[in-house]
Amino acid sequence: MVIKRVTKAIPYILLLLIAAPFLTMYIGFFLRAFGERMVLGVIPERWGVNNFRFLWQPIAWGLEKTTMWAALGNTMLFATVSGFIVTVICMLAGYALSRIEFRGKTFFLVLQLILHAVPGQILLIGIFFLLLYIRLLHQIPGVALARAALEIPLGIWMAKGFFDGIPWDVERAAMIDGCTRFQVWYKIFLPLVKPGIAAVFIWGFLFAWHDFIYVYTLLPGTIKLMATLIQSLLATEVVDYGYLAAMSLVYSLPPLILFIFLQRALLKVPIFGGKGAV
Amino acid sequence: MASSSSKWPGRPDKAGLPFQVRKILGNRRISLSIFIGPSVGLVFLFYFIPVILTFLIAFTDMDRTLTWRFTGFDNFSRLLGIGVRDPIIPRVLLNTIIYTLGALPVTIIGGLFIAILSMRVRAGVGLFFRTVFFIPRAIPPVVYGFLWAWAFEGTRYGLFNAIRAALGLPIVQWLIHYPMIIVILANGLLGISLAMLVFSSAIATIPQELTRAAEVDGASATQIARYIILPLLKWPILTMTAWHLMSFLNSYVYIMLITGGGPYYATEVWSLYAYHVAFTQYRYGYGASLTALLVVVNVILLLLVLRAFGMQRMLARGKIEM
Repeated sequence: MVIKRVTKAIPYILLLLIAAPFLTMYIGFFLRAFGERMVLGVIPERWGVNNFRFLWQPIAWGLEKTTMWAALGNTMLFATVSGFIVTVICMLAGYALSRIEFRGKTFFLVLQLILHAVPGQILLIGIFFLLLYIRLLHQIPGVALARAALEIPLGIWMAKGFFDGIPWDVERAAMIDGCTRFQVWYKIFLPLVKPGIAAVFIWGFLFAWHDFIYVYTLLPGTIKLMATLIQSLLATEVVDYGYLAAMSLVYSLPPLILFIFLQRALLKVPIFGGKGAV
Repeated sequence: MASSSSKWPGRPDKAGLPFQVRKILGNRRISLSIFIGPSVGLVFLFYFIPVILTFLIAFTDMDRTLTWRFTGFDNFSRLLGIGVRDPIIPRVLLNTIIYTLGALPVTIIGGLFIAILSMRVRAGVGLFFRTVFFIPRAIPPVVYGFLWAWAFEGTRYGLFNAIRAALGLPIVQWLIHYPMIIVILANGLLGISLAMLVFSSAIATIPQELTRAAEVDGASATQIARYIILPLLKWPILTMTAWHLMSFLNSYVYIMLITGGGPYYATEVWSLYAYHVAFTQYRYGYGASLTALLVVVNVILLLLVLRAFGMQRMLARGKIEM
């Protein structure tokens, strides 16, 4: 009896032991954002929102001053442009890959998987020069376009998955009535795959929102996004960890909420023998 | 079936398009290029052109003046140690090997361990732990990097040192004494978040009868994991290994954010070195040659993966092979 109870408890204990350091980190981070002074390292002596003062005060950064809202606005612009591009392109391609037979289709699909496996960060030097020559370097829309290209491979697979779920009869009826392919896509399919459109958009939006290395490298230091703002505050000599933790929390919250929406859509993407590859 | 509008010429046009527009949109080739064209264009522009540019710049001594001067194989001979050698390269190479071979087992074994364990506890508890291990992927890289840099900060303001100080233990300079271990753990945890999900969804598809039967026959939990679950997970384990091998070879953002490659090149891996050479030393030419070599390694790895798995199987929906 006792032995059975002990063996049943083993998985719980093991999981807790593995997770303990990381849980400490996450909880400590959370407490740090809301605590004014810390006791025993992790427990706040006094609760307060003083760390969130960047919401109403300008941020001193070097000799200049900036506000969190400017950075948040830039991040929003960057992520929205990127998400929009990903959505339009993936919705077009996803339809064709789901419904139209053409030569090289399998190759195209496998190519997307391969491209998804290659982290885009290693091509940064090439992308830097490409943007330089097509005069899109150092501006948010241009970098957003480059960033969007990174999410297109998996986005196409996501979109295809949504189109696959729609019965053929719908479009056959429309085409007999004289619709062209493009009209079928625009008038019949887009309204039917609204959840898919939302999912693909969130996908593109989310990763652009998260992005650090592209905006850090391809945008000038004067254009601050949330990621580069936090990074530059971290790189200063005196780091106020509570302040930064609070700012990180504000920055991470929108994606966390979006992730919950995205979760169900991601479960439909079959990648490399598993589902829901991120 | 291609465009069917032309098959019924006498039919009234319910979709209401002018004839000329209909003729153009109805053309199979044109409509296909509208659908596929933009994605092909963008992939061409942002994957293939950068690769070509990288290989071209690799043969120049491009610096911050951004002028093209082809210098033949100078960059490559420097990084291969022929003639003028780069003293950092052996260190970087060793770091890359240690880092990749360290983070890979952390990811695969850790992911398996957590997937199997979280299946053996109550559903709610399992979901809780899977969520905890998914956090690294759900928060922005800058925040994740900040979290690690702060947790292992070498003063009493860092999380773990504050806890140690509270317990009366001396302060440890984590990032100076154990930089590689921290970097491996931070990236391994990121790998775990994906591997764990893939493994647990694969375990969920294993028919209950198999584990039930083994249980009836008196197999212990460890035996079930070892002799039933593990063999059935061969395919997901292989794919995750290949996936993360490439990921660890190429990704440098988290290392850059946590240690910046330091202290004194202790965590400078190949891809990060290429980045630093190009974007902080402004030696684009040399940086491109480092990247070009990495691209070649990637292509070889991808060809091996494709050979091992086959194109059709990469597209197959099957998650476990019985």
